[in-house]
Amino acid sequence: MPSTAPLLVRAALTSRGRRGDSVPDRTLVVEDVRIDRAKLAAYQRLTGYAVDDTVPQPYPWVLAFPVQTALMARPDFPMALPGMVHLENRVTTHRAMDAGDPLTLSVSAGQVRPHRRGRTLDVRLEARVGSELVWECDSVYLSRGRGTHDAPRGDAPRGDGPPRPPVGQPAARWRLPEDLGRSYASVSGDVNPIHLHPLTAKAMGFPRHIAHGMWTCARTLAALGRTSLGPSTSHVWFTKPVFLPSTVELVVDREPARTVAALRSAKTPETTHLVLTLET
Amino acid sequence: MTHPRRAAVLGGNRTPFARQFGAYAEAANQDMLTAAIEGLVARHGLAGERLGEVVAGAVIKHSRDFNLTREAVLGSSLSPTTPAYDITQACGTGLEAAILVANKIALGQIESGIAGGADSASDAPVVVTESLRRKLLRLNRAKTSAERVKAALAFRPTDVGVSVPANTEPRTGLSMGDHMALTAAQWGITREAQDELALASHVNLAAAYERGFFDDLITPYLGLTVDQNLRPGSTLDKLGSLRPVFGKGEGATMTAGNSTPLTDGASAVLLGSQEWADAHGLTPLAWFVDGETAAVDYVGGDEGLLMAPSYAVPRLLARQGLRLQDFDFYEIHEAFAATVLSTLAAWEDDDFCRDRLGLDAPLGAIDRSRLNVAGSSLAAGHPFAATGGRIVATLAKLLHEKGSGSRGLISICAAGGQGVVAILEAA
Repeated sequence: MPSTAPLLVRAALTSRGRRGDSVPDRTLVVEDVRIDRAKLAAYQRLTGYAVDDTVPQPYPWVLAFPVQTALMARPDFPMALPGMVHLENRVTTHRAMDAGDPLTLSVSAGQVRPHRRGRTLDVRLEARVGSELVWECDSVYLSRGRGTHDAPRGDAPRGDGPPRPPVGQPAARWRLPEDLGRSYASVSGDVNPIHLHPLTAKAMGFPRHIAHGMWTCARTLAALGRTSLGPSTSHVWFTKPVFLPSTVELVVDREPARTVAALRSAKTPETTHLVLTLET
Repeated sequence: MTHPRRAAVLGGNRTPFARQFGAYAEAANQDMLTAAIEGLVARHGLAGERLGEVVAGAVIKHSRDFNLTREAVLGSSLSPTTPAYDITQACGTGLEAAILVANKIALGQIESGIAGGADSASDAPVVVTESLRRKLLRLNRAKTSAERVKAALAFRPTDVGVSVPANTEPRTGLSMGDHMALTAAQWGITREAQDELALASHVNLAAAYERGFFDDLITPYLGLTVDQNLRPGSTLDKLGSLRPVFGKGEGATMTAGNSTPLTDGASAVLLGSQEWADAHGLTPLAWFVDGETAAVDYVGGDEGLLMAPSYAVPRLLARQGLRLQDFDFYEIHEAFAATVLSTLAAWEDDDFCRDRLGLDAPLGAIDRSRLNVAGSSLAAGHPFAATGGRIVATLAKLLHEKGSGSRGLISICAAGGQGVVAILEAA
């Protein structure tokens, strides 16, 4: 397993002048990935899951983060890693994953597409136990820059956009502390400067630091109960960043095999930060 | 109101028990209780089910866990419309929870329920010193700047520090082990007898694992599949080499080997009416016949701290018209080996049974081959509130294996000079 910190430093130092419209057709595979239970427990505690043997649906993304970073830190990678923004994430769990199962993780980058605020990149992650595919994830990231005005509008560069967020009374209200990004960075290894501190976020062109999308996604899934621990598919759209600190409200619309949830700003409820669907 | 009916024990589940600061060092009571309930739910196909109620507790409890059991239910796959409440009766918590659920089922108030408990000796609440706590509260309620300054000036360096909860009786200042050492000396319980009982606990628990007895009673948790305290290779020599830790001087007999260690874990037991069991395709393992509690005046030294079960059992026997010898299995919680041996000695003693229990004749001896046959707390460990659930599930399964008409007695001592006992009968 590659070590994330030096890779991030290298990616940051070489971030200027990265260009090109395609990513190298390459899949990085790491075998025999063992879950550190103390780290998993810290993650579960921070995201609202019970400390348990069943791996939370977003957790393999955290496990694969160093591999993903290694892929993006390579000299021939066309985008700068620091400052990249998570737009969309779709995960399917084929069967409940036990923390004792050694995983084989693979990471491959897909297409680069024009976006009105820069360019987007698809990344595919897969987790296997032995040869059995147990988990797969498609992420879409935005590399901010000179956008393409006639690029498809909306926040969904591929496929359908998010469903309408549920309205009405909040099911929960969470106060997200100023240090949430640093706390999540310490359990996930994702030390992207946009999440850490107002100053590091400003350096990347943000007015303030923002919550990790994968934290808001995990916290929302944890709040929806045990469904996502078993076979299920979650699809999340990160529609507006959550500046830290702030207070967000969870709104939920449950149907038998499909739940739609959203996080909205408590202060300005018309601001939707995230829309998520969970299907079984 | 209908006449009381019988409540059945339908199954049980627990985490393996971990030694303090062992495999569950990072797990909270709520995590462990949720895991124990969830395993029970999974094994009995109860996902989405609304149960009558879930009753559980923890002896060492954070103030934030005021709704521990309800929170565990909400974290499980049970229907969120399942009510729950917390209880605490020290080490009797789990068995008392089972009595409460069984009683409501017997009265027809509920059809089904879960009784359980969890305790963590690792994730214990840390409390600031009493003087600091009072000064912080005073500072917090100060309204004017002058009041705030005055409150702040009251802080002293000596206020700083933390108090970790200890296994000490508030009224006597003696630890449970110290209390037990007094009782053991009073009853002349020898070191050899204690070590033999401890060894039997390890041998019996190991044998029960070996024959797959726990396959449907335990769900692995955080990588642990077997009780961390179990020493299958223990011998009398090894136990005999340990230094005494409780009691003083030559007569000290209680060691780390014949006393239960501090442990983390959780357990849960499913109970229901016959009708509910039938409707859910579940087979009753045992009937929850009756329960009794007792307390002794240990503060004045009138009786030993952990001797209350020796008073509760004869009352229960009298009510049920049974003799002490009418049981196929005895589950006497091994807080310490000396607890079990002192209790048995008391029941054999003419003077005790006459003067203390008011009986014409002593209860007599039991067949020791029927005692804790699948191991007990000395080998498994003793996460306080989880022990009752461990024992109820174990005994119910033993009785089911033994067959119709067999009967078992449970005896659990608890802090505060209390005891909780119960009778189960094979279904």
